Amino acid sequence: MTTKNYAMENRLKLLRFVRPGRFFQYNLLILLGLGIVSFIWIYPFLWSIFTAFKSDSAIWSAGASLLPEEWVWDNIPDAWERANFSTYFFNTVLYSVSATMIVLTTTAMCGYVLARYRFFGRNIIYGVVLATLFVPIATVIIPQFQLVKTLGLLNTRAGVILALSGGGALYVLLFTSFFSTIPEEIYDAAKIDGANFLQQFQLSLPLAKPIIATVVIFQFMQTWNEFNVPLVFTFGNQDLRNLAVGMYAFQGEHAMDWPGFAAGTVISIIPVLLVFFFFQGYFVRGLQGAVKQ
Amino acid sequence: MSQASLNLDESREERRARRRAKRLQAVPYSQRVTGSTRFWIIAFLAPFLTLYISFTLWPLLATIIYSFYEWDGNGPLTSEIFVGLENYTKLVQDDIFWSSFANTLIFAVTNTIIKLPLALFIAILLTRRWVWMKRIFRTVFFAPMVVPVAMAGLIFNFLLHPALGAVNDVLTSLGIVDRPINFLGAQYAMLSLVLISVWQILGQYMIYWMAALQNVPEELYEAAEIDGANEWHKLIYITLPVIRPVAVVILFLSFVNALKVFGLVVALNAPSDATRVVSSFIYNQALSEPPFRYGFASAAAVLFGVTVLIAVSTQGYFVRKANH
Repeated sequence: MTTKNYAMENRLKLLRFVRPGRFFQYNLLILLGLGIVSFIWIYPFLWSIFTAFKSDSAIWSAGASLLPEEWVWDNIPDAWERANFSTYFFNTVLYSVSATMIVLTTTAMCGYVLARYRFFGRNIIYGVVLATLFVPIATVIIPQFQLVKTLGLLNTRAGVILALSGGGALYVLLFTSFFSTIPEEIYDAAKIDGANFLQQFQLSLPLAKPIIATVVIFQFMQTWNEFNVPLVFTFGNQDLRNLAVGMYAFQGEHAMDWPGFAAGTVISIIPVLLVFFFFQGYFVRGLQGAVKQ
Repeated sequence: MSQASLNLDESREERRARRRAKRLQAVPYSQRVTGSTRFWIIAFLAPFLTLYISFTLWPLLATIIYSFYEWDGNGPLTSEIFVGLENYTKLVQDDIFWSSFANTLIFAVTNTIIKLPLALFIAILLTRRWVWMKRIFRTVFFAPMVVPVAMAGLIFNFLLHPALGAVNDVLTSLGIVDRPINFLGAQYAMLSLVLISVWQILGQYMIYWMAALQNVPEELYEAAEIDGANEWHKLIYITLPVIRPVAVVILFLSFVNALKVFGLVVALNAPSDATRVVSSFIYNQALSEPPFRYGFASAAAVLFGVTVLIAVSTQGYFVRKANH
């Protein structure tokens, strides 16, 4: 009897807990806390965007305030034309799109085969790919540089793209664990219908949309903002720089041209934000499917 | 992310048993893979493996090989420039190397300690069904990730400026400090670097945690609520135990990635002694100005990597042992 009452009492407690009023209070509390933290978080981001619309002198007198007193609209067109950002932008798009396409295709193919087939060397490949994820060598830029130099691709766009496409161990693991969740019966049915290897692969690709979105977002963002590889591989030719390196050099060449710099940032940020908004619906789902394995 | 990596805490016997079961279950590859399928498997593996071996595996191996030579990056590796362990003995006596070694470890540890719990806390809040405006908050925490490092360095150079920066402006006008603080001076540069990098990368780990949290069955929470558990109990007795295997992977990824910090250090341009890390040490030795000391820089990469690997894996071993 007493135990039953105890359970009842808890159930009542739960009812009180899920009453809208209580949630309302919790939400206000969380909104206040998260609101303060997010403001601190978004402030530097907003600052760099609004600075693109300030005049050079106004930045130093503005202190902590975000909005410009007087809106200046010329900074972005100026940076685009004079500071060579149009070239940098073109390079960045080229590097990011090519590297993302290459990495996506190669890791999806590799992950598919590793997931579906048992063959000699399969476990070795899987183990090595997994292990290199955790190798704490600070940088492998020197041998990469040597390799690209030997291939005669130093200071070429192809060299940068190749070096940016050489990773992706994590994505192979994501694809492998995803494709191994697809039941074999689907393929058996396809085989009866006469599907060959390539058609079976095509069949499973649409199912992997969440992983594809995850790889696209991660890889695109990473290559878009990549600094190390383009810096080292384009020493000899400034016209090959991407935005990240171009902006770093801009800082050295135009000391203190803050609005120009901020304008470059705006140019650089918008495409990545678009990719994120476009794919974010799939994003968490993709990672979730992967870690479930 | 994968079975092998997630079950870091299973015992040796369990692992052996699992492997045996797998072997028995597996169809012999000679039966499964025949003719054209074998061709397609090779065709599907080749593109990734070619790129991966060229730009990830070979560079790791080459770094080790280079480290035994007195080499400036030009010409072949001949026996005349082979110096054996000399690079390593020089390195051990190099104070700058050890200070960048220490800086890198301090950076990686503090970065991980601040970043992971904060990201987990935010992820827990933003996966609760009844919390409002989740999409907006998610985007807010994600936004700094799209800022290029060069820009991040410059934004904070401005915001943290001792005389004119916004942060000191706020701190002094609120009366929290009397005099403006030189955040990028020798004393606070490392702390600033850590916090800026947390600012930039938090969104990524928030998403990792959110993915991990989706594995916790909602029914467990409901059952716990019926038993009168509060939020703290749910965190300690349900959430953390369920996500523990994934948490180990996230922890390792976070730590190893933090050890590779480079771009932000260059872009922040703080005093070199206070924030010099192993990557910038290597970059300076090998690529910034002649004489290029490839061999010496490679030895630095290897010595650092091996030391950390040994430290982490012994720790992992003892943690695993303590758990059983």
